[in-house]
Amino acid sequence: MGELKKIRTACRSCHGGCGVIAHVKDGRVIKVEGDPASPISHGTMCAKGLAITQLAYHPDRILYPMKKSDTGWERISWDEALDTICEKFKQVIRENGPESIVIGQGTGRDYESFLYRFANLLGTPNVLTAGHMCYVSRVGATLITCGNLPVCDYEGEPKCIVVWGCNPLWTNPDEYKGEGFWRAYKKGAKLIVIDPRRGFLANRADLWLQIRPGTDAALAFGFLNVIIEEGLYDSEFVGQYVHGWEAFQERVREYPLERVEEITWVRRDLIRKAARLYATTKPAALHWGVPTEQSINCTDCTRLLTGLMAVTGNLDAPGGNVLFVPPPVRTVSEFARHQDLPPEQRQKRLGGEQYRLAARVALVTPKVVWDAILTGEPYPVRAMLLCGTNPVITRANAREVYEALRKVEFLAVADFFLTPTAELADIFLPAATWLEQNYVGDFWKRHGYVVARQKVVEIGECWQDHKIFQELGKRMGQAEYWWDTVEDALNYMLAPSGLSWDEFKELGYLKGEMEYRKYLKKGFSTPTGKVELYSTILEKWGRDPLPRYREVPESPVSRPDLLDRYPYILNAGLRIPTFFHSANRQIPWLREIRPDPIVEVHPETAAKHGIKEGDWVWIESPRGHIRQRARLNEGIDPRVIVAEHGWWFPELEGPGHGWDIANVNILTDNDLAISDPLMGSTNLRVLLCNISPCEDQ
Amino acid sequence: MMKKVSLMVLRKECMGCHACEVACKQEHGLDVGPRLIRVIERAPYYIPIYCHHCARPPCRDSCPVEAISRNEWGIVRVDKELCIGCKACVEACPFGAMQFDEEREVALICDLCYERLQQNEAPACSLVCPTRCILWGDMRAIAEGMEQRLL
Repeated sequence: MGELKKIRTACRSCHGGCGVIAHVKDGRVIKVEGDPASPISHGTMCAKGLAITQLAYHPDRILYPMKKSDTGWERISWDEALDTICEKFKQVIRENGPESIVIGQGTGRDYESFLYRFANLLGTPNVLTAGHMCYVSRVGATLITCGNLPVCDYEGEPKCIVVWGCNPLWTNPDEYKGEGFWRAYKKGAKLIVIDPRRGFLANRADLWLQIRPGTDAALAFGFLNVIIEEGLYDSEFVGQYVHGWEAFQERVREYPLERVEEITWVRRDLIRKAARLYATTKPAALHWGVPTEQSINCTDCTRLLTGLMAVTGNLDAPGGNVLFVPPPVRTVSEFARHQDLPPEQRQKRLGGEQYRLAARVALVTPKVVWDAILTGEPYPVRAMLLCGTNPVITRANAREVYEALRKVEFLAVADFFLTPTAELADIFLPAATWLEQNYVGDFWKRHGYVVARQKVVEIGECWQDHKIFQELGKRMGQAEYWWDTVEDALNYMLAPSGLSWDEFKELGYLKGEMEYRKYLKKGFSTPTGKVELYSTILEKWGRDPLPRYREVPESPVSRPDLLDRYPYILNAGLRIPTFFHSANRQIPWLREIRPDPIVEVHPETAAKHGIKEGDWVWIESPRGHIRQRARLNEGIDPRVIVAEHGWWFPELEGPGHGWDIANVNILTDNDLAISDPLMGSTNLRVLLCNISPCEDQ
Repeated sequence: MMKKVSLMVLRKECMGCHACEVACKQEHGLDVGPRLIRVIERAPYYIPIYCHHCARPPCRDSCPVEAISRNEWGIVRVDKELCIGCKACVEACPFGAMQFDEEREVALICDLCYERLQQNEAPACSLVCPTRCILWGDMRAIAEGMEQRLL
């Protein structure tokens, strides 16, 4: 028996960053625990991270490269796998140009900088990420509004917290950890929760606004209306640092509280109370969730919420929403070499002309890729490399996604398991988990930290994604831009800090030196130097420079014609604490906690359809039907049905693994007409549906 | 005499993340099946089920072969060698906390991470909880913890 070693690293089972101490014995991780010294998580960990050993050593995990032959999957060497991919890529570049290759990722194992470096040097503008409707869309909208992404400053002790469509305790999203939120809240902050569903936080909140799903932008107008009408804004800040205040106020007045109440279902007196509480309690932080982005209103809702932070004087103020100062390391943008993508290639970005904001943050919306594959318009997409993503489960209109991925001429997938997406591939590359990689973690985040994710073990022939891109790059003629080892690349990333990778991993993390209210010295990083509630960039692009509310494209208001058949609003994509989107369904500890996909139904609605607790239920939308298990919940509106996302069944036979049984994206629509006009954000959240008990239980 | 230790989950502050469950499984090397701590979901409420290490444990009293005892720290323990798998203790526990290992056919209960306690380390579940709602220690430590949190 070998000695027990304890190695400090950082989790990446979700957006990550929590400090971990991994216990290693005889070359095997036997346990992970939270690192009390972590400035981000203070020793706490979640179910997903704690279950990493069951993922890393899972019997179904693929530990070597494979190719698909006539008889099924066949083990090959890394050389053969990479050569096969490069040969195909070179052929496509020769015959069609690099734009006919799409490089894609899911929510990311923290390798986006490597992925983009590879794609930019390859010359393809077509990078497909979750960013069109998750996080990056928020970054894009705030970049043009106030120059950076405002993040809650929980350590600055907000006295009022608005949790807007989010459950930070379960999801630990992006820059945040539930633990940090909780500590700030327990110091006595007032809590306002905006959520269609009475969850744990809504139940504790000082004010709970039970909003009609998808109408967040209208509610934001309601808040602004009260704040303007009652003069609750910070007139000094507004006078000096807001561009277009007059025009913005005029737009806000188009949404009087009566109208907002009608749109959002939230009583006007409650909106007034909430707006007053938020605007008069200083400092106040607004914590926004991803449902505000997965909508036709993505950009405008983000801009409105940024407006709320700004006009109340909470922007970049301690305890408000701040623009964190990053530690002195290279930026993602520099590492990714976005400047190297030739202008003529940039112009070929699929949907780039329409989705100007998506183009600005260097990504494409998925629908344009599926269309290019299925129709060859505006040019064919022939080859794809998808890394840690399962779009068959996680992107809208799953049937179209499945068809496109089945049709695309060449598909390579890097992942841990043969997911329904990976099963459609020609080449499978075995990726390393966070236990098996060296990386400057949280490199892309805007919370002022980078953390050392340190390799604890090696398993099989798995490679960390960064190495995959580096080695592919070398084979694609990019050798001069890559390094011998990943660690050499990390040294380059860290160079401005004066630290080497070895020194950094000893240190554990780096924190930027925070400075509040930077605008006093240098304004905001926008064309006018102010918070552009009236956007000069959008004006230049010929778009509406002011935000507005667009009615949810498939709602009782916009589609009364559908109500006979689909009388309920489906609020899709309820987050669950044991799973990260489509991941983890094969982890025994986690699946034991959450064995089935759950659809929540109000007891009155359930009674109407003869549905009992625990029944399997059909959920039907104009696109199709799926089944999930009913849980009765009095905390939702009887007109709303709430369903989980991300479901497939690894235990069912491949290649499908039950991808279309309970997958909520069988029901969603990806029509570009109902996507955000600037980001191409797909509506993953709100649609019309009907329910009925399944005949066979 | 040694102080008695116990564990208490502040139910009002449990938000149903299940981290404690997985930490416990990992610490005890348990597979699917026995759940020494468990959170039942009834959104917006979450109900933690766990052993209270009762002063007069009904599980102990129900055991026909005296396989259950309470040690000097007040920790209720099942002697796997003696257990005959009759499940009387499972029936007797008023909290529904007593678990049964179907494979080995023995009863199983939270041991408050006895091995960790001996090394002055906190029970695994209590360390990972993001709302810090799992309190442990002697009654005074638990009472103090409650007071702090209810402020």
